[in-house]
Amino acid sequence: MRYIARKLGLFVLTLWAAITLNFLLPRLMPGSPTDAAIAKLSQNGPVTAATRAAIEAQLGVPGGNLWDQYVNYLHQVVTLDFGVSYTFYPQSVSELIGQAFPYTVLLVGLVTVVAFVLGTLIGVFAAWRRNTWADALPTLSGSFLSTFPYFWTALLLLFFLGYVLHWFPTSGAYGPTASPAFSWDFTVDALYHALLPALTILLTSLGGWILGMRNAMIGTLGDDYVTFAQANGLKGGTVAIKYAARNAILPNLTGFGLALGGVVGGSILVEQVFGYPGIGYLLFNSVIGQDYPLMQALFLMITVSVLVANFIVDILYGVLDPRTRR
Amino acid sequence: MRMHQQPAPRAAQSNTAHPERAKRHRRFNRFTAFAAASAAALLALTACSIKITSQPDPSIPKDTMLLAADKGTPMMEKNFNPYLSNKRVAASYIYEPLLVTNALDGKQTPWLASGYTLPNASTIDYTIRSGVKWSDGQPFTASDVKFTFDLLKKYPTLDIKGAWQHIDSMQVEDRGASGQHLVVKLKGADAPAQSIISLTLIVPEHLWKDQPNPDTWRNPDPVGTGPYTLGNFAAQQYTMNKNQDYWQADKIQVNHLVLPASTSQLDVVTKGFDWAYAYMSNVQGTWEAANPGNKYWFPPGGVISLVPNLSKAPFSDLKVRQGISLALDRDKIAGVATENYMQAAGQTGLLLPNQQDQLDPSIADQGIVKQNTKAALEAFAQAGYTQQDGKLVNAAGKQLSFAITTANGYTDWLRAVQEVRKQLAALGIQVDIKQPQPAGYQQAIQNGDFEVAMGGMGGGDLFQAFNNLLSSEFYAPVGKQAAANFQRFKDPAVDVLLDDYKKTTDPKQQTQLNYKLQQAVYTQLPVIGMYYGGLWGLYNTSKFTGWPDANNPYAPPQTYDSTPLLVFTHLKLVGADAQAGNAAAKEG
Repeated sequence: MRYIARKLGLFVLTLWAAITLNFLLPRLMPGSPTDAAIAKLSQNGPVTAATRAAIEAQLGVPGGNLWDQYVNYLHQVVTLDFGVSYTFYPQSVSELIGQAFPYTVLLVGLVTVVAFVLGTLIGVFAAWRRNTWADALPTLSGSFLSTFPYFWTALLLLFFLGYVLHWFPTSGAYGPTASPAFSWDFTVDALYHALLPALTILLTSLGGWILGMRNAMIGTLGDDYVTFAQANGLKGGTVAIKYAARNAILPNLTGFGLALGGVVGGSILVEQVFGYPGIGYLLFNSVIGQDYPLMQALFLMITVSVLVANFIVDILYGVLDPRTRR
Repeated sequence: MRMHQQPAPRAAQSNTAHPERAKRHRRFNRFTAFAAASAAALLALTACSIKITSQPDPSIPKDTMLLAADKGTPMMEKNFNPYLSNKRVAASYIYEPLLVTNALDGKQTPWLASGYTLPNASTIDYTIRSGVKWSDGQPFTASDVKFTFDLLKKYPTLDIKGAWQHIDSMQVEDRGASGQHLVVKLKGADAPAQSIISLTLIVPEHLWKDQPNPDTWRNPDPVGTGPYTLGNFAAQQYTMNKNQDYWQADKIQVNHLVLPASTSQLDVVTKGFDWAYAYMSNVQGTWEAANPGNKYWFPPGGVISLVPNLSKAPFSDLKVRQGISLALDRDKIAGVATENYMQAAGQTGLLLPNQQDQLDPSIADQGIVKQNTKAALEAFAQAGYTQQDGKLVNAAGKQLSFAITTANGYTDWLRAVQEVRKQLAALGIQVDIKQPQPAGYQQAIQNGDFEVAMGGMGGGDLFQAFNNLLSSEFYAPVGKQAAANFQRFKDPAVDVLLDDYKKTTDPKQQTQLNYKLQQAVYTQLPVIGMYYGGLWGLYNTSKFTGWPDANNPYAPPQTYDSTPLLVFTHLKLVGADAQAGNAAAKEG
């Protein structure tokens, strides 16, 4: 119990620090939201003084001293009301996040789970059959693919499978004229559009899980208790799964917790390349537009989800491995 | 206790101790080589045979235009309030202004106003066009126009063109045979304000008057006077249909528009767009090669210039500015910055050839300053800088060095700055490059926090361009925010010229003042013009003809703001069967 209380205290402290940093960082960026809006407009021609005044009035850029803004911000955090977005004025921040969230969670969240399960299983298999083709093929191709930056993989897939071969749609979350609905047709359409970005994330993240699991597994396979189990004549599969893999999975589990926490913000470039309307793309736009309200809400979501995931892994670790509780 | 897991890092070590290691290593190597070789072969093979061609959607009929104008981010919000900065681009195909101004030469076309007169320099008398209907069938009247201006006065956040910075009051006059008039009283002698006020988009009184919050209203079901009405709207694509009651309906042959949200450059090339506005690297090899009907036109839309901070030494010294100007090879800079799409620009602020008829004939070489190293060094010498060991130094032996501020991500500007640095280095001047993010760049130039910046001048109405560039009305000391005149230019004689310009309604006198303002820019170098910034028009002639181009520059090729109205009223359908389709659509 003391372990959990200690972890909880640390969690709250980290959360406060993150929330405060989240408030300060955007304000340290040079230029105001109005400047960003004008910079965007001025690419289409000169922007007059009148336009500047109108935009400033439209955005209602936060006034008051930093402390007032901070208090106001804390109030927003507690009430989860982040006001109106600057870049997408007059849409509200919660409206925007509500639109984008399902896409990211379904796309990145699902793929992260699949990649973890698949990668871990392949890792177990590769370690068990180490030094054969069954080991070399997944290990090598996995590490090969995971060295590519994932936007590069995304661009390659988009170009060859989308533009050259015309197998997949090249952008969007569903067909141009479809509208979201709980129907069979729409689900198929949405899955079809999600396939290519999903493949990108899967290809580039699989290698990490395979290698992590394989190496940890090889470590446990060399341990005395595994040899002991084998000497006792237990079946290979039983030894691999119940003895070796069960212990080897712990570091991978930590990684999985963090990856789940990172789902919210972890797909900026993939979403950018595929024009996928998720949180990552929204985050990108908010930073470009110096959209404080939107940026803060999104960063908060990301920090909180990473922190919560971390906290859960901590607790889980304490349960799985009593040594960490000391 | 040993039963518990082993830390991961040890795993690798136990592996390397394996007796089979050497053999396995060889196998791995062979495998790696094989994989690498096959990947390379695959890439080489595909690279040779790839040719991206445009594949138009066969379901799009011949009277329908696929338009890359409204880039969603990536979803589109149903916001057709024409005054909000985040509106849908097509809001300006629905709402129309009093006059449409061609930004290439500043020429105006009467639109919802069939004409105007200036009884004196502080009064504008608009004749409101009769026979115009809103797309819901209600008649458009002068009171709609007055309502619109009153709305902008009540909600200054909507007054994005700044009409009320010039207007004092207005009234509607019904003059029987000569129709309805809107008489605008200006705050003072301010004749050129007409060009700003006329841009105001007019909205229907009968629908907007009951809106409690027009400044945040998204106007999801827009009713306007324009050539198109909203068709189907989805977050990733919307369509527009010809307004059958449009007052110029006989000129509109494009019956439908399709505007998809996600239009990356690859999409523009491959999906058979009829009109797009995008800078495209190697436009011949990409856009033109993709489809035989694909054409492009990149007319000048402004002059990309070096903006020296005149309130800081040594740029306050005209001789230094002359030295820099003479040191530059503008053809080279234009070529490097724009892949040779754009030309070197003159030092008058005019866009040539479009504004040729307004150019002061007494200015040599149409205002183009040729590179002249000898003259540059003479100018620098007069400012106290001489060459010493390949460096240009002042009397104290300190090298002339400064930073040029440009916006991060504007790659053409960056290429121009790099070329400028190279050319000035040849004279012994050291140039650093500062690249803040666009918002930071904007803040820097507004607050005067730069030595030399990249910027633009010119375009659109000639007076407004000069006024924004030169008027001390916009002057702000360093550290204070300026809305225009970022170089912080101040000259009482030029202010008098601008003032005289506001007071006159006589075209001859305007021309004379025009010439004098050009001379001021030419001789005083408030900014140093380098090359034309382009307007990147991409269009396809297989379904529609009559596009603006170099031979017929009646409109800029841009898809935003009001000038697309000029384009839509000029486009013709190709082919006889298309004409039949048009007739059928009219009946249906």
